[in-house]
Amino acid sequence: MASFTPYSYIQCPCFDATGQARPSDESPSASSSDAPESDDDHAFDPRSPRSNYSLYPIEHLLYCVDCNQIRCPRCVAEELVTIYCPSCLFEVGSSSVKTEGNRCTRSCFQCPVCIGPLAVQSLEPAPESSSLLTADNAAPPAPGPWALCCSYCNWSSSEIGIKFDKPQGIFGQLAKIRDGDGHGDISVAAVDAAPTKKSGDAEADSTKSRFALMRSFYQSQLANSNSTSSGNLSGTLGEYGYGSPTALSRIMSLYSGNGLAALKPKSRPTEIREADSFKDGFRPSNLDESSSISALRENGYDGTVTNSQATSQVDEGARFVEDLWPIPHLLRSKRAKRCPVCRHILSKPEAKVNNTRWRIRLVAGNYIPSISIKPLNPTDTPGLPVPDTSSLTLTPLKPTQYLLTFKNQMFDQIKVTLATPATTPGRFASRVTVLCPQFTIDANAEDYDINEALKDDRRQDKEEAAPQVEAGKPWERGRNWVSIVVEVIPSSLRIEPKPAILRKPGEAEDLGPLKEDEDILEIPMFVRLEWESEAAQDQVGSTASKDKEAKEKRELAYWCVLGLGRISQD
Amino acid sequence: MASNKRQSILPRVQAGPKAPVNFSSSITIADTAILTGNHTINISSDSVIHPRSKLDSSGGRVTIGRRCIVHERTHVGAPGPAPPSSSASFGVLLEDYVTVEVAAVIESGETTIAEGCLIGIGARIGKGAQLGKHCTITAKSVVSPGERVPDYTVVYSNGVRRLDKRGVNDLKNKAQARQIEVLRRLIPSNPAKFKD
Repeated sequence: MASFTPYSYIQCPCFDATGQARPSDESPSASSSDAPESDDDHAFDPRSPRSNYSLYPIEHLLYCVDCNQIRCPRCVAEELVTIYCPSCLFEVGSSSVKTEGNRCTRSCFQCPVCIGPLAVQSLEPAPESSSLLTADNAAPPAPGPWALCCSYCNWSSSEIGIKFDKPQGIFGQLAKIRDGDGHGDISVAAVDAAPTKKSGDAEADSTKSRFALMRSFYQSQLANSNSTSSGNLSGTLGEYGYGSPTALSRIMSLYSGNGLAALKPKSRPTEIREADSFKDGFRPSNLDESSSISALRENGYDGTVTNSQATSQVDEGARFVEDLWPIPHLLRSKRAKRCPVCRHILSKPEAKVNNTRWRIRLVAGNYIPSISIKPLNPTDTPGLPVPDTSSLTLTPLKPTQYLLTFKNQMFDQIKVTLATPATTPGRFASRVTVLCPQFTIDANAEDYDINEALKDDRRQDKEEAAPQVEAGKPWERGRNWVSIVVEVIPSSLRIEPKPAILRKPGEAEDLGPLKEDEDILEIPMFVRLEWESEAAQDQVGSTASKDKEAKEKRELAYWCVLGLGRISQD
Repeated sequence: MASNKRQSILPRVQAGPKAPVNFSSSITIADTAILTGNHTINISSDSVIHPRSKLDSSGGRVTIGRRCIVHERTHVGAPGPAPPSSSASFGVLLEDYVTVEVAAVIESGETTIAEGCLIGIGARIGKGAQLGKHCTITAKSVVSPGERVPDYTVVYSNGVRRLDKRGVNDLKNKAQARQIEVLRRLIPSNPAKFKD
């Protein structure tokens, strides 16, 4: 059986905003800890399919300090900070992304065959210099033509007939080759020499050039129809997009009812012609596939593209390896995250591309206690390392104790209240008992005395070498952590119908085979934290409100799921 | 500075029998290369054998052509997984302009690597495989025993194959010659150590 590591996932409160039958976890009136216990129907079920979308490990969660609430990657609002090319790490302005598209317009290309990076290489040997010593110190510039080469799979752009006259401005040269000379609207000043063309009939065939042709055609058509049909109105309305004859007549009938139409019954809008020729950007689909069939016959399967190669192309429709063009690198972005409620910034990366640090990052791990799980072996002394229990499984119907360690990262003392349903939800209901559901964890203060801490440790070693499992008392506590004991009685995984006494009327029983991961013992646990911290206005008058009265009580409550272990199946 | 050289804690590699060698006068072979086996090891002119590369002729004769580069920690003539058959007339034949990159393994038993091939880092060429001219075996790729790889094949990405249509053989050979020139100045050659 695969090894199992205990885990704890935390549910983001945004789940409640969408679910209807869920209790409002963050309701401030959740004063009694056994409220979720009393109505088991409303307890959170970690096995429901929806839960997959709301459970996160604590590392993935952010925390809004203004709302005092957990925020997950699903509910934060994102905004772009920087757009950059992952290959050349060059920052791209958002305006140029709008005009040039979301791909790098410098010389960053990916191999269309194996997506490796392409390098510009000369196809001709460098002129032989007199001595080899100077050759590797200062190599003379190699003459053209140049091609893009992949150093991994040895693909070269010369395979599809593309060669460049210069090693610079490859994107512009490539666009020129692709769109044909006349229609390419990319204004790259470096390209003045016409690059070597592929073959005669392939140009002006790209989607971009066809779109440009079609757009110019329809614009000219609209302009013509405006000038003929709508007369003087075209001058004013044409600019606002109302110039098309159908739109105009619709507006006229809207405002004037039948009156105007009755007055001018003969002003029938002239029909505009649809694109029907190649120079209008119209291309009939090529039903004659004999060339494709002969290409298939000639090159076989190796001559066709794979699915992933075809989808990574910029233009769609590539079917043979001759149709594969170098892929300009997709741009990436750095994003800042904001709280969806109060717009407070939760995380903000450094704007510079090569800086991987964060300006602001409010991770939940700094605000809510982390929960670590470890099986409790009463025979072990606490000092000894716990034997490797990851491969062990839980024996059905045998009470097993687990140690949950809550570690407080805040600088305030927190009061923790835990609640779990008495039995775990799902087909195999295991019994769960939290032996100490209410405890306080001391602050993560930095001003503690190291000698005091050591003395505490030593005293603990002497007196409480083997702490007792006792209800209502934490197992062990340290400077900013408390560990408590949870006892579980795993249920048997045998699939058998319930006895008739226990069965509720009208209940359908699921006697199907064991589903995937159904043997994992998962405990839903409701955690409620209560602490006192300085008032929120401390930024305004931090010097004035230093007194104790300025503290205010805060609380946070959330569901989490503890995965303890697999129940053995025999 | 031999005194402060870091000593390996591993036991010394058990050197096999010293192989009979047949060197051209213009080769570069490092002092710490390992040449073992019972059969002859031929190395032709201008080839470079890096330090700590291992040429093993116990499974048959090993021949290295002109202007080849055999990098560090390679194992040319490694015994295959199957027991060696005595019928093999030779072990490994590398033709001219072959580069064997770091930690590549070429098994012994009539394995032929034709002209201009590149055996990538950590690649493995099975016993009796025949590579055509100017093949590229990319890093960590495996050519199974007895396989025939056609000319100009590129083996990449877990055994996907395609044909190299760049047509840059002359360029490649020139670059190889230049690299050998540099290596000759960097690697102190000691062919006398291997001759007896």
